[in-house]
Amino acid sequence: MNPYATSIMTFSLILGTTITISSNHWVLAWTGLEINTLAIIPLIAKSHHPRAVEAATKYFLTQAAASALVLFSSMTNAWVTGQWDITQMNHPTSCLLLTAAIAIKLGLVPFHFWFPEVLQGSPLMTALLLSTLMKFPPLTLLLLTSKSLDPALLTAMALASTALGGWMGLNQTQTRKILAFSSISHLGWIAIILVYSPKLALLTFYLYTIMTSAVFLALNKIKALNLSMIMTSWTKTPVLNATLMLVLLSLAGLPPLTGFMPKWLIIQELTKQEMTPAAMAIAMLSLLSLFFYLRLAYHSTITLPPNSSNHMKQWYTSKTPSTPTAVLASLSILLLPLSPMMHAIV
Amino acid sequence: MYPTLLINSLTLLTLTILLTPIILPFLFKNFKNTPQVTTRAVKTAFLISLAPTTAFIYSGVESVACHWEWKFIMNFKIPLSLKMDQYSMTFLPIALFVTWSILQFAMWYMASEPYVTKFFTYLLTFLVAMLLLTTANNMFLLFVGWEGVGIMSFLLIGWWQGRADANTAALQAVIYNRIGDIGLILSMAWLASTFNTWEIQQAVHPHQTPILPLMGLILAAAGKSAQFGLHPWLPAAMEGPTPVSALLHSSTMVVAGIFLLIRMHPLLATNQTALTACLCLGALSTLFAATCALTQNDIKKIIAFSTSSQLGLMMVTIGLNLPQLAFLHISTHAFFKAMLFLCSGSIIHNLNGEQDIRKMGGLQKMLPVTTSCLTIGNLALMGTPFLAGFYSKDLIIESLNTSYLNTWALLLTLMATAFTATYSIRMTILVQAGQTRIPPMVSMNENNPLITAPLTRLALGSITAGMIITSFITPTKTPPMTMPLITKTAAILMTILGIVLALELSNMTHTLTHPKPNPLMNFSSALGYFNPLVHRFFSKNLLEKGQNIALHLIDLSWLKKMGPEGLAELQVAASKAATSMHTGLIKAYLGSFALSILVMILMTH
Repeated sequence: MNPYATSIMTFSLILGTTITISSNHWVLAWTGLEINTLAIIPLIAKSHHPRAVEAATKYFLTQAAASALVLFSSMTNAWVTGQWDITQMNHPTSCLLLTAAIAIKLGLVPFHFWFPEVLQGSPLMTALLLSTLMKFPPLTLLLLTSKSLDPALLTAMALASTALGGWMGLNQTQTRKILAFSSISHLGWIAIILVYSPKLALLTFYLYTIMTSAVFLALNKIKALNLSMIMTSWTKTPVLNATLMLVLLSLAGLPPLTGFMPKWLIIQELTKQEMTPAAMAIAMLSLLSLFFYLRLAYHSTITLPPNSSNHMKQWYTSKTPSTPTAVLASLSILLLPLSPMMHAIV
Repeated sequence: MYPTLLINSLTLLTLTILLTPIILPFLFKNFKNTPQVTTRAVKTAFLISLAPTTAFIYSGVESVACHWEWKFIMNFKIPLSLKMDQYSMTFLPIALFVTWSILQFAMWYMASEPYVTKFFTYLLTFLVAMLLLTTANNMFLLFVGWEGVGIMSFLLIGWWQGRADANTAALQAVIYNRIGDIGLILSMAWLASTFNTWEIQQAVHPHQTPILPLMGLILAAAGKSAQFGLHPWLPAAMEGPTPVSALLHSSTMVVAGIFLLIRMHPLLATNQTALTACLCLGALSTLFAATCALTQNDIKKIIAFSTSSQLGLMMVTIGLNLPQLAFLHISTHAFFKAMLFLCSGSIIHNLNGEQDIRKMGGLQKMLPVTTSCLTIGNLALMGTPFLAGFYSKDLIIESLNTSYLNTWALLLTLMATAFTATYSIRMTILVQAGQTRIPPMVSMNENNPLITAPLTRLALGSITAGMIITSFITPTKTPPMTMPLITKTAAILMTILGIVLALELSNMTHTLTHPKPNPLMNFSSALGYFNPLVHRFFSKNLLEKGQNIALHLIDLSWLKKMGPEGLAELQVAASKAATSMHTGLIKAYLGSFALSILVMILMTH
């Protein structure tokens, strides 16, 4: 893409995110959300491929509806309570509408339908942005209004997200769709703890961002858009594949990797809040996503495709070093011992 | 003078002498354990055992008990208690006498056996277990002896291990005995939980004993003494060597069941149902066995069925509430039955292994001592007046006829008496009389004193034992003194009827008419079709049930369906259902969003 256009889009993304997370007034928050939506549309439709254009269209329609709902809910709240403060979202119906709107923006069940298709239509780096950066502003809004939200609704949506992310991910071979459903599952974990401990939700989101970014960057390196491409990439980047396996298992939440930390702390917090059945349910439903993470890990490292033996190691590989990948992968594997510090910092 | 110490010490001395061939090799390095040593030990033990028995009879003591406690660990004392009463004191010399004769005979019979010392050691171990059973004062020692004779029976029946039939027969013996053991253990458990003891003297119920332990005891006796239903192992046990058949399956082991009922008699006597069960079971056994014996052609099988029939008669006596008479029959039966087996062993060895009576005949001239003893044994078995069997058998039939009991049992027993005579005479005629049917190149020789001495000794016993025992043992129940003439002579009349029948039938063999297939004859020679019906049915059912439970129920259902495979199926179904929801149509998506929001609003307000 034209460097001027790319820089304008990137700058707009940063601007939109900053506006939303630092706003006190609902209209400003809405402004930031709209700027984000508009800025990322060209990035999705960059390649002008019909699927990309369709993805961009779906993204625009759902996100526009969601932003309108955000504005509507803040307006009704202002009508009833007379103020536009984000943290003072007192009217219950407004809260409900806001929750629905943010759920559409984030991709929580039952508002998640757009997410896999949009992710499938966009290039890998844009998909990364969609999964991590674009979730940050809506999450901030939820964090700011967390004490007025309905816990039962959020728990229901969270459990359904984890379940659906698990079941749908089992049936996919395209990596971007798999990562979309993994994102939906993780959002379920974030949503379930949001009301009880917003800090923990934020921590979960940060760790999820680190892990997903590591996965996306690794997949971008080996250009793996489906399972068969992952399977045959071990000859080109053996170490990256091995690291990818560990990062995927960290996403799944296996100790002693980083991904275990948020799950553990969330289950502990839920049990303290006397929500043991919910904790048990969400933990068991995560087992479903463990299966497809394992499948990805298996394909990346453990199985050998039917290459002939003189193709085992290629003599020419593109060895451009990539610092972000390395840093993010290391963080997503080794951060568990630092959990007290992480828990205190966030 | 108190004879207690004398009886005690001499009985213990007898038992210790019996154990010497087993223990001495461990103490002295150059002690060679040979069959002669074993036979001599048993002979010495017999001669010594006459002393305590005489002292017992002379002093008129009721019973002497010798009680040790083996303190195993802190609170667990194992009681070892021997009881010397009329039963064990009479049984001891008789068993030792019979065993001595059998061992002496076995020195000739098993002379060509490579492991002959092991054989004699097995027989000795069996004898020790049997004597332990008879002198036991508590159920613990009785059970030890019981299991001991069961195991030795298994080892001895399967002595010729290479023979498949012998292994099958040994297995049959063990399984049927085990089924009986279930009953014994049930009774022992009931005794322990109700009376808090395993002492037999303490097991006296004030009123009627419950039927459960008594049924257990009757089951145990049925298993060990081959009553109908658990009987097939006894004819099959004839696969063992003839000394084994003579010792175990005629005189000593098979009477263990009856002996148990005699010991537990005070418990049994209070419950009329149990007594009637014994009566009917015994009557059925005796008639069934006698019917089967009519058409058998193997000489050992005839004698086996005869044993089975006599055991049924002993059970009938128990059912009549006459334990002492049953014991008398045990004692006299030991003599002539062992002798019959030894005679058959002599005949078999002399004919080079021929056991089929259709291939014998006219042996009277060739083996005079053996066949004379055979005749004496058969006559004693039939209850010929004033031979050994008469004293017990005639008394039993008289008591049967003068008691108030089940007519059916009475009729069956009388018929069995007639059949006893029939098959005995048939065997005698086919083996000894008439033209000989043996192969020509057979050289017969019974000049060895190892054959003739035991046989003549046992013949002497068969003639005089009845008189001797009844002279010295006081009956505890009044025998019937007066009865009509027909009742008095019922036994002898049935026997004569049987003899006449047998002679008539054997005359028919001279007329050369072709025998027509006869359902009754088929029933008798197929042993009542019991074996094929029962053996197949139970084992097939058990194996099928095992397969169903282990494979279908546990492996397939619980460990596969309920676990991994069922779970995987559920997830696949859920995944498919969820995938079919994601149609890709934006209109459907937006519509579902609207619907969800509507539902959420409606649900919360």
